[in-house]
Amino acid sequence: MKHFDEAALDPAARAQQTLLTAFLAAFGAILAIPQSASAQTAFTLPAPPFDVPMLPSPSGNWTVMVGIGGEYTPDFVGSKNGKLMPIPIFSIRRAGSVDQFRGPRDSASIALFDVGNFRAGPAFKYVGSRRSDKYAELTGLGDVKAAYELGGFVEYFPVDWLRLRSELRQGMGGNTGTVADVSADVIVPLIQRLTISAGPRFTWKSTKATAPYFGVDAVQSVASGLPMYDAKGGAHSVGFGGQISYRINPQWEVHAYVEYEKLLGDAADSPLVKLRGSSNQTTIGLGASYSFDFRIR
Amino acid sequence: MRRIAFLWVGLAIACIALGAAAAFETRATRLQAIKTVGIVSAIGEEMSLTQAGLIALGNAGQSLSISAWGLDELIVQQATKLLGGRFRVQAVSYRRAAFAAIRDSAVAPVNLLRSDPFKELVRSDVAPQGLDAYIVITRARSKLGNGRNVEGIGLAQYRTLLADYGLIHALYEVRVIDGKSFDVIEKRAAAPLDNTGTMRLAGPSGPIDATFEGPAASERLRAAITDLITRSLPVTLGDMHLIDGQ
Repeated sequence: MKHFDEAALDPAARAQQTLLTAFLAAFGAILAIPQSASAQTAFTLPAPPFDVPMLPSPSGNWTVMVGIGGEYTPDFVGSKNGKLMPIPIFSIRRAGSVDQFRGPRDSASIALFDVGNFRAGPAFKYVGSRRSDKYAELTGLGDVKAAYELGGFVEYFPVDWLRLRSELRQGMGGNTGTVADVSADVIVPLIQRLTISAGPRFTWKSTKATAPYFGVDAVQSVASGLPMYDAKGGAHSVGFGGQISYRINPQWEVHAYVEYEKLLGDAADSPLVKLRGSSNQTTIGLGASYSFDFRIR
Repeated sequence: MRRIAFLWVGLAIACIALGAAAAFETRATRLQAIKTVGIVSAIGEEMSLTQAGLIALGNAGQSLSISAWGLDELIVQQATKLLGGRFRVQAVSYRRAAFAAIRDSAVAPVNLLRSDPFKELVRSDVAPQGLDAYIVITRARSKLGNGRNVEGIGLAQYRTLLADYGLIHALYEVRVIDGKSFDVIEKRAAAPLDNTGTMRLAGPSGPIDATFEGPAASERLRAAITDLITRSLPVTLGDMHLIDGQ
């Protein structure tokens, strides 16, 4: 630890003061601090009537973010057609806590382990059901129930502008296989309010996570007219994604993203994809959100 | 069968509600019963210098000793003035370094499950013992950017491609520790002073701009940090229902 002590005017102390001066000068700073108003909160709620043992008190300032987005995404994985879906945006966090970088493909997750540049914890992803009566390409292939994928994530920032993330999830319901996602994102703040990010993605899926969506058994073959196909697991997709976000003011933020995915292996070779779909999967999304603070006494 | 199930559920809800109400009563009652307090402050020994955003690989933060600024003495003085209207504030002695050395665990659930580490320290390190409560003010932590934590007193720089931004921070949390049982009656981190900036921390902070030069730089820095503390302390103690009129 360096020492900063104006009273001690020896050479060492002067050198240490120089360090601080250099640090400040590096970003051209002076302590002309704008006198800001006191806490600006939308409303104040009364103190909760009780505390839940073991959990921190909810009293204090909170930030709520609400918004709406739209996403143009393939009808189903492997489809060559797309659909437009509304995406609700909602989050609540302690006021002042940083809204950390998040990729559009990230599962819902909680960082139970956090040392600043390394975070880990449980992750969850909901995979919607695939109804064969909704799309002509799926006729005869039967329904695939919704899947709930539970697992964990690790995230590492070697530097503030580079995120490496990996997720490993086990499916339940519609697929009972294992899924691994790996991604990297270079995050470049152009100015404080405007950030762009982009990076490669890779997904691996086990046979049990691949077969329900890409396999064609004998009955399905007769009903759909597609040849029988035994889909095995392995490298599922490789891709690239990017997003841009702009904070108009402390309340309003807009963002847009694009994710491209190229199906690989047995998923790409499935007759559903080869004959009726496409191995090129693109998702485009945009949204706007509004944040406000409230206070619990 | 269904009726019995409903009865059990109702009984469970009633137990939880009664238990929770009792817990709240206990906290409120315990705060009201406090007459004498001692104040411990351990945030002002060092200042961190942190960079985030577009920075080079391996750019670690630094810290400087600022013990000569006497921030802890100032905090004790300010808190004594604020709390003096309601409590009899008594001077206490303690090992400041021991309080400053305690850190939260990186594993979040551990912090919820383990006993508060400051309880033992108040029991073993603070003299005199026997006051109704001890007000303990220590460093709090916040995220800066994506991969950096900042805590306590500090100066931070956020670098972007086209501009750099600077801010100072005074992140701290306040505990009220029972002087007999050493239970934590109340704990609160100081909240941000405003929400006008786009770069925000989870506690008192403020932007800095223009050019920094000259021999009086450290004095201006001290004054700015002091201003953050002076403005946030009454709000925090008010939020904790320790002083009136906030």
